[in-house]
Amino acid sequence: MAEPAQRAVVINPAKICQPIGAMYATLGINQAVPLVQGSQGCSTYVRYQFNRHFREPVNIAVTSFHEDAAVFGGRKNLIEGLYNLVLRYRPRVIGVVTTCSSETIGDDIETFVKEARKEIGRGLGEDILAQVSIVPIHTPSYAGSHVKGYDTASKAYLEYLAAPGQPNGRLNIIPGIINPGDIEEIKHLVREMGVDPLVIFDISDTLNAPMRLPKPLYPEGGTTAEELKDCANSQGTVALCRHAGGSGAQYLLRKFNLPAVLGPLPVGVANTDTFLENVQKITGAVIPPSVERERGILLDHMADTSQYTVMRRAAIFGDPDIVSAVTRVVCELGMEPVVVLSGTASKDFTAEVAGVTAEYGVTPDILSGSDLFAFEQLARERKAEVILGHSKGVDMAKDMRVPLVRVGFPVYDRVGLFRRPIVGYRGTLELMDRIINSILDFAYPEDKLHQ
Amino acid sequence: MSFVTLKVDEGIAERGQHTYITDSTSPVLPVCNVRTIPGDMTERGCAFAGCRGVVGGPVKDVIHLVHGPIGCSFYTWGSRRNLSDNPLHRRYCWSTDTQEKDIVFGGEKKLCQAILESAALFPEANAVFVYATCPTALIGDDLDAVAKRASRAIVKPVHAFNAPGFCGVSQSKGHHIANTYIFEHIVGTRELEDPTPYDVNLIGEYNIDGDLWVLKPLLEDMGLRIITAFTGNADYDSLCKMHCAKLNIVHCQRSATYIADLVRDKYHIPYLPVTMFGIEETSNSLREVAAFFGLQERAEAVITRELARIEPELNFYREKLSDKRAMVYVGAPRVWHWIPVLYELGMEVVAGATTFGHEDDYQKINRRAHDGVLIIDNPNELELEEVIAEYRPDIFLTGLKEKYLSMKMGVPSINSHSYEDGPYAGFTGLLNFARDIYKAIYSPVWKFVEGGSDRG
Repeated sequence: MAEPAQRAVVINPAKICQPIGAMYATLGINQAVPLVQGSQGCSTYVRYQFNRHFREPVNIAVTSFHEDAAVFGGRKNLIEGLYNLVLRYRPRVIGVVTTCSSETIGDDIETFVKEARKEIGRGLGEDILAQVSIVPIHTPSYAGSHVKGYDTASKAYLEYLAAPGQPNGRLNIIPGIINPGDIEEIKHLVREMGVDPLVIFDISDTLNAPMRLPKPLYPEGGTTAEELKDCANSQGTVALCRHAGGSGAQYLLRKFNLPAVLGPLPVGVANTDTFLENVQKITGAVIPPSVERERGILLDHMADTSQYTVMRRAAIFGDPDIVSAVTRVVCELGMEPVVVLSGTASKDFTAEVAGVTAEYGVTPDILSGSDLFAFEQLARERKAEVILGHSKGVDMAKDMRVPLVRVGFPVYDRVGLFRRPIVGYRGTLELMDRIINSILDFAYPEDKLHQ
Repeated sequence: MSFVTLKVDEGIAERGQHTYITDSTSPVLPVCNVRTIPGDMTERGCAFAGCRGVVGGPVKDVIHLVHGPIGCSFYTWGSRRNLSDNPLHRRYCWSTDTQEKDIVFGGEKKLCQAILESAALFPEANAVFVYATCPTALIGDDLDAVAKRASRAIVKPVHAFNAPGFCGVSQSKGHHIANTYIFEHIVGTRELEDPTPYDVNLIGEYNIDGDLWVLKPLLEDMGLRIITAFTGNADYDSLCKMHCAKLNIVHCQRSATYIADLVRDKYHIPYLPVTMFGIEETSNSLREVAAFFGLQERAEAVITRELARIEPELNFYREKLSDKRAMVYVGAPRVWHWIPVLYELGMEVVAGATTFGHEDDYQKINRRAHDGVLIIDNPNELELEEVIAEYRPDIFLTGLKEKYLSMKMGVPSINSHSYEDGPYAGFTGLLNFARDIYKAIYSPVWKFVEGGSDRG
C-alpha cells in the first residue's frame, strides 16, 4: 500500500479549501447567503466553481478585505458587510464563512456578529433583525479541505439553529457534497418508505432552478430556517457522507439524543441496502415492493452487462465518502480497483476502502490525502483501463488513452451530470451505464457488440 | 445627463457616483478603481487573480507554484483559457498546500523544498514563478529570499510575485505588480541573437481561446517578427528579450500598459495602443503599426485579403444582428474594444460596465459609445439584475458568473471572458464573435420562455 506522497509540493490537487464546502452547504438553505470574511477572490473563485458545475447563478457576498483589514483586522468589514447585505437582500440566514486571512489575523467573529446585530437593529429595525439568523462558520483554508468545510458548517448551523419542540416524525438527511440529482433520489427512496425526509442543506432546487420569469431574488426551495430549527425534533439523522455532514448528525445525537447514522453513501447494491435498513431501524418503516423492484432491475442489468465489467481495472479519485462508495460499486461490478485516492486525508477512508476491497479479494493502492500526480503515476503503473473522478482527471485520461467517467465535484466539461443521481438503486444503474458506455465508446470492437 | 442611482442602491451612498449615462456634450467620469463595499455581491476578483491568473499564468514553460492554501492553486488551475502549445502549461498545478503549522512556524522552508522538488520533477521547465497568497503574506514569509536561495540550488531563475489577494481594490493591482516585477527582474536579462528591423512585442495579449494565434499571422504577413507576446503563449526566454523590440504593440491597455511605459522609459522603445477586434479597428491598428515600419502596402494587402475572406459570411450575421440591443460587461478594456465592434455589426449598445476600469477606460468608453448608454463601474449582482430587467437587452456579453444570471432572466448571454468558441480577435475572430452572438440570440429556446419574446 503506497503511502501518501512525501513531497512538500502538491501537484494537481484533488481537494479544494474549507470555505467552498461551507458555501456549498449554505446554498442549500432557503433565502440564505454566504458572506465570506476575506478577500474578493475567496468569493469570486468559489462562485465560478459553482457556476460551471451547476450552470446556475449563485449568490455569495464578500466583505472585501484590503490592506487595512490585513493590518487592523476585519471588524469593520464584517459589521458593514452584514449591514449592507441585510439592507439589500433581506436574507433569512447568513453564513459568515471565514477564510485563511481572517483566521490568521484572528478576527473575533462572534463578537463582531453581535455588534453587527446591534447596528442592524438600530439602523434597519428590530423586526428586520428578528428575521435574520447570522451563523459564524470557522473555515480556515489552511486546515482540512472543502469536505471539512461542509462538515464544520453542518455542525455550526445546527448548533445555532436547532431547537427542541414537538416531535415532527421526519427523518433528517444531511447529504454532503453530492448533486441535486442525488438528493432527489434519496428523497424518493425515503418517501417510498412512507417517511417524510427533512433534507438539511437541500440544493436540489436552489442549484437546479427553472427558467421562469420574473426571476425571483432567491431561488425557490432549500431547507428553511424553520426546518433547521425543527430538525432537533426528527426521528433521527442520516449523514450520507461521514466526512461531510457527520459532525452535524453527531451534534444532534449528543444534544437532542437523535439516533445518528454516518454513511456509507448509498451507491451500489450493498450500500443502498444498508441505507434502507438504517432508515427502517430509525423509523420503523418497511421497505416497499416498489423499491425492491428497483433493486431487481439493477441486478438484472448488472447480470446483463457483466461481460463488459468483470476484471476491468479502475482507478478512482475524489472525496472520501464518494470514492469509498464508488470503490464498492466497482467491486460489485466485478471490476478491479487498482488505485483509490481521497484528496482529503482521512484515516477512516483508508480503513474503509481496505475493508471493502478485502471483501472482494482485490488490493488497490490506497492514497489518503495525496494528489493526482501520485495517483496518475500509480494508475499508469497498474494499467488502469478506466478512471472515475471529476473533471480534473481529463488530461491524464486523455494521455493514458482511457475513458474518464465523471463523478464528483466539480464536473464542468460535460452537461447535466449534476441532475443525475448515482445514489440508490436507480442512481447506481445510471453510474453503471455511464461506466459501461464509456468503456464501449472508448475501446470496444464494434463487431463484438452485435449480439 | 450625468450620474444615476439604481433603485437597489438607494440608501447606499457609496454607490452614488459609479453609474452614469453617456452624454458627449457633458461627459462625466465615474468614481472608479476604489474599494468594493463590504457585503457586496461583487464580480471582482483579487490581486492574486490578476497576478497569477491574468499576467503570470499564461507564461507557458515555467512552474507556477502558489505558496498558500490549496484553494488558491485549485481555482487558478486551467480556469482562464489562456491557451498555449506547451503540454507542461495548463496540465499541472503546483501548490505548497499551506497547513496550520506553516502558519504558526512560517512556510519558507517548505516553499524552498517545494521549489527544489518541482524543478527536479519537471526538468523541462525553464523557470519557477512563485506566488504569494493572503496568509503567507500575512505571516511575513520572505518569498524573495527563498527564491534567491532556491535559484542558486536549481540553477534556474526563480521569481517571487508578491500580490496577495488583499492588496489593492481588485485584480487590477495584481496586473500592475506582475508587470513591474517582470520588467525589473526578467526583461533585459538576455539579448536577442539575431535582431531584425521588424521586431515587435505584442503586449497585453493573453491568447484567450487562441486570440494570439489569429493575430500573429496578420503581423507576420505584414513582415513583422514577434519577439514575445506579453504574456500569451510566451516562453520565459522571449520575455527576457522584450527590450530588443523596435515597437511595442499594446492590446490590453489596462493590464499591460505599465510594462510598455517602463520599457519605453528605460529602453526608449515606443509603443502603440491598439484595438484588434472588429474590421475597422483591426484594420486601422494594422495600418498604424505598418506606418511605423513603412510597410503600408503590405498591410493593405493583408487587410484586403482578410476582408475578402470574411465578408460573405459576415454579411449573413450583420443582417441577423442588425438593431439587436446589447449590454456588455467584462473586465475593462474589452468594453471599449467591443462597443465599436457591436456598432459595426449593426447592433445597438444599451448598457456597459467594467469590473476594474480606471479613469482612462471610462474616457475611452465615453469616446466610443453613443449618447444615452448606461455605464456602471464595478457593478454587483443586484445592480446587474436590475439593469437586465430594466433594459431587457437581446444579448448580454459578460463573464461566466453573470452569464447564468442573465440566462435565468431570459436574456441570452455568451461567456465573454474566456469565449464560447473563439478566438474573437482579428478578422477571423470577428466571424466567431458574430456567430456566437447569433447562436445565443437565435436559439429557439427563447420562443418558449414565458414572458420573454421571440428574439429570432
